[in-house]
Amino acid sequence: MDPTNTLPPDSVPLDAVPVADPSFFDGLVLFLQSVAGWIATAFDGQVELLGKYGWRLLAGLGTTLEMVGISLAIGGLLAIPVALARLSRIGPIRALAVSYIFFFRGTPLLAQIFLIYYGSGQFRPFFESAGLWPIFREAYWCTLIAFSLNTAAYTGEILRGGIEAIPPGEIEAARALGMSRWLMLRRVILPGAYRIALPAYGNEIILMIKGSAIAMVVTILDLMGQTKLIYARSFSFEIYLYAAAIYLMVTFILTRAWARLEAWMNPQRRPPRAA
Amino acid sequence: MDGATLTVDKVHKRFGNLEVLKGISLSAVKGDVISLIGASGSGKSTFLRCINLLETPDSGDIRVEGELIRMKRDKTGNSVPADNRQVDRIRSKLGMVFQSFNLWSHMTVLQNVIEAPIHVLGKSRAEATAEAEALLQRVGLAERRHYYPAHLSGGQQQRVAIARALAMNPAVMLFDEPTSALDPELVGEVLAVMRSLADEGRTMLVVTHEMAFARDVSSRVMFLHQGKVEEEGPPSQVFTSPASERCRQFLAKHL
Repeated sequence: MDPTNTLPPDSVPLDAVPVADPSFFDGLVLFLQSVAGWIATAFDGQVELLGKYGWRLLAGLGTTLEMVGISLAIGGLLAIPVALARLSRIGPIRALAVSYIFFFRGTPLLAQIFLIYYGSGQFRPFFESAGLWPIFREAYWCTLIAFSLNTAAYTGEILRGGIEAIPPGEIEAARALGMSRWLMLRRVILPGAYRIALPAYGNEIILMIKGSAIAMVVTILDLMGQTKLIYARSFSFEIYLYAAAIYLMVTFILTRAWARLEAWMNPQRRPPRAA
Repeated sequence: MDGATLTVDKVHKRFGNLEVLKGISLSAVKGDVISLIGASGSGKSTFLRCINLLETPDSGDIRVEGELIRMKRDKTGNSVPADNRQVDRIRSKLGMVFQSFNLWSHMTVLQNVIEAPIHVLGKSRAEATAEAEALLQRVGLAERRHYYPAHLSGGQQQRVAIARALAMNPAVMLFDEPTSALDPELVGEVLAVMRSLADEGRTMLVVTHEMAFARDVSSRVMFLHQGKVEEEGPPSQVFTSPASERCRQFLAKHL
């Protein structure tokens, strides 16, 4: 077939298409206006929502960070004896640590919170006589205890891995120089173990931040608790998106900070610095 | 023996059914350089490690500067140190250099050297640092004092390890195959440092496969075979006219 003759004979030349049809533009403008109007209304709605409840989100974030921070601090300190007991040569001590880790890693965090919060009520006379009831009647403190004991179990295992990964020669060198067990632990074993355990511990912190959302179940107004409260009052599901964005942001900042901490703690990985 | 810096009397050690040391004795006076030679598995490294109790001998007496390391039996009848503090104190007088250097990887060269003088001997940081810098100068690594072990060659790491042991001003230096993990071209720099220590009158026990070092530097050579001392004497005697046939064969292979 002749290539110049591919168009059907009755086709309209291109320059005859009505590009400037006024009704087409009017329609487009109307459509864009309505979209913009919808966005503006929606935006106003979001501004209003955040204006009214934003402080609750921030207060919730504050509670979340506070609870996670305190339980990580307590759990981190407890993790050292847990790891050492787990590595003890004395059978009963090791068994104690193994059972502790087994229980707190093997049961849901929520169950642990319930156990401490509701369980302590069963022993109220005991806690009262011990003067501990003011702590155990508060959901906040019970949750904090559950968080701390839970993260201590995980961190203990992370730290044990770090201790076991220290080159045996470095420990032997410390012994050969006459270091006592305690000195060796403080100066050689733990500093080495922390460096090895750092990436895994960063993971544990992130898991704690997200896992802490469970605190809302026992009426604590952490970030998730506040979010649910806001939703119950406003019926704006978007508030869950904002909460998710805040969790993401916290995790993002932590991840970046942790990468810096790892680099700072491991100067031997950097190129040598002149004397 | 009076005046001896180190005496070891009939040390036995077994791992399970394997008797590794069958009663080895040794006596070193100040300035002695004793080389321990022998095939792999002859027990020479185990013997060295028994002296500072990195391995616990099953029986036998060890005296450092006249002080006996007190041992006792635990419930299962195993030999254990009676007083761990005494062991720590005695270890601080025995400077050990390992085959694989064993520097602390999270500390700089200088930190490695000053660690034990500060925390075990209780020296001030200023004093320990001044001494460490002199020692690093001596092993030729002063300009590397802020480097981490990972940034050093094997020979350099071993020289730091020697400086770390020397920083305790030990009565005896124990060398456990200090050049066996090194590339051949790095062996010389470590042997040179060890030679200079021998020359200044350090008491040294050296487990080694470097026959030239054993022959030229030692005041005495011990040839171990299957957990026993098979041949012992000044290097001139052991290397030229060994009484033992096994020693003769070993030297024929290694010289």
